[in-house]
Amino acid sequence: MKALWIAHNTYREATRDRVLPGMVGAGVAILLVAQLATPLALGEGVRLTVDFGLSAISIVGLLTVLLIGTNMVGKELERRTIYNLLSRPISRSAYLVGKWIGLAAALWSVAAILGGALWLSLVLRGVQGHGAAVMQATYFAALELSVVTAVAVMFSSLSTPVLSALYTLGVYVVGQWSYDLRGLSEKVAPPLSTLMRWAADLAPNLPLFNMRTLAAQAQTADLAHTAIATAYALVYSGCMLCLAAAAFESKDFK
Amino acid sequence: MPRSAGSRSERPRNGQRLRLTGGEPGELAIRALGLRKAYRSNWTLRETVGLESLDLELKRGQVLGYLGPNGAGKTTTLKLLAGLIKPTSGQAWLFGDSIEDPSSRRHLGFLPEQPYFYDYLNGLEYLRLAGQLSGLPGHESHEQARHWLGRVGLGSRPGLRLRKYSKGMLQRLGLAAALVHRPRLLILDEPMSGLDPFGRRDVRDLILEQKAAGVTVLFSSHILPDVELLCDRVAMLSGGRLARLASVDQLLLDAAHRVEIACRVSPRAELPGAWRESVKLVRRGRGASLVLGDEDMVGDVLTWLLRGGAQITSVTPQRASLEALLLSATEGVSSETERRSA
Repeated sequence: MKALWIAHNTYREATRDRVLPGMVGAGVAILLVAQLATPLALGEGVRLTVDFGLSAISIVGLLTVLLIGTNMVGKELERRTIYNLLSRPISRSAYLVGKWIGLAAALWSVAAILGGALWLSLVLRGVQGHGAAVMQATYFAALELSVVTAVAVMFSSLSTPVLSALYTLGVYVVGQWSYDLRGLSEKVAPPLSTLMRWAADLAPNLPLFNMRTLAAQAQTADLAHTAIATAYALVYSGCMLCLAAAAFESKDFK
Repeated sequence: MPRSAGSRSERPRNGQRLRLTGGEPGELAIRALGLRKAYRSNWTLRETVGLESLDLELKRGQVLGYLGPNGAGKTTTLKLLAGLIKPTSGQAWLFGDSIEDPSSRRHLGFLPEQPYFYDYLNGLEYLRLAGQLSGLPGHESHEQARHWLGRVGLGSRPGLRLRKYSKGMLQRLGLAAALVHRPRLLILDEPMSGLDPFGRRDVRDLILEQKAAGVTVLFSSHILPDVELLCDRVAMLSGGRLARLASVDQLLLDAAHRVEIACRVSPRAELPGAWRESVKLVRRGRGASLVLGDEDMVGDVLTWLLRGGAQITSVTPQRASLEALLLSATEGVSSETERRSA
């Protein structure tokens, strides 16, 4: 329960920060640019709009994680606000879980707003039948952001804000290209190939959450894929939070 | 003056256990055994000791002042007890629960030194959060937040964002946050720091109110008159070690007492040779003052003055200040530490 109070406070912190409205504005601007670019898309206007709209959710979400998420625990340590929380009967792991839930909830809100704006832009253009696909793709994008948030919380509890942002970005990039990295590893000699395979195996399997192509064709993933992706996101995030908690447990707040 | 029988004022030797009160473990709000904290530099691997083998027992309902110069280990002790740093060795308990267990802090109200807060919250929101995290149910946390915000004089603008609070207001809010769940133990790190005289008086009153309600209080301070006023007992630290631990009365009683006698005395009057070491005569025009290093000499000196025709103006006992005692206690430990390291 106490993790939920931390989550509520983190959500409040994220939504009252100027970064989040700015990011939502940037996402809407990307959608508007997509609308303006549709006449140049040679009949692929709907695909372009959906692709741009869903990409906006991922990009804006990633930037939010890098700007807020990677700084989240570090800022509390630097400003010593953490003293007022952890001197209460709350475990350090509950604190980290609360931080993750709070920021993930803020990102889900952003995804919902931008997904809604995408759906609205399609409706206004008279495009029918994309509602379910856009909604599902938005759900997957939010799952992906939850995983990246867990990675950010993990690095944030171990390192400085700048380094955690760099590490998180690195994990995101490796995660996005994990299939290519695995393929590439077969074409190079060891130990580089081993290293690339390890990186691809350890990084989150982010292509699992990419529904852009299906959504552009108004298609949805089946229930099994949705369940597997949801379970994967929860398990991977759980592992990241366990690592973070293990490191955080012995930390001294000087 | 001879020490009274049964005095508990002690100068601990290395590794010696000190018992602050004679209470059973169940009656203890705080118990620390061999509590030690050392910090190791990541670069040089050099170890710095923040606190060395602290043994401390504090009975429920008592107020203990924690004194010492900067870097003496006061904040380290308080942070160890509040679970913010982990002991290198040793153990401590709050109301019988190990400090390793987060639930040991359910009865604890902690005010860190120069508290920082979330500037995107207002006072009421912050106190609600503090109450909720300390286990108060939703509605009660709201009621208590309103009550304590008013109690510390911030109730007129509950919606004011914390970024607009002054330093003194933040200190009061920190105190309210420490009290919002009605804790049985208060640990306050420099609670008077940054407050104007009115703020200090309010904090003093709050601590006295909590003391009257049976709350155990452990607080560090550099403002010795406040310590003298509020505390039952005082612990003095120096160089990470406990230098002295006793009741305030006992400390002051144990200290050498001086007496000043103001009088009009003949300009030819000379002190007897036997008193030259213990009595200091200072002439001021037609008057003089005699400062006696031992109050047991008052009778003899007055008899000598009256026989010599002196007119006594006043006899004033001069009590040793807590500051002098602190300096003497910490200097003793510092020089011992220096000798050991030499």
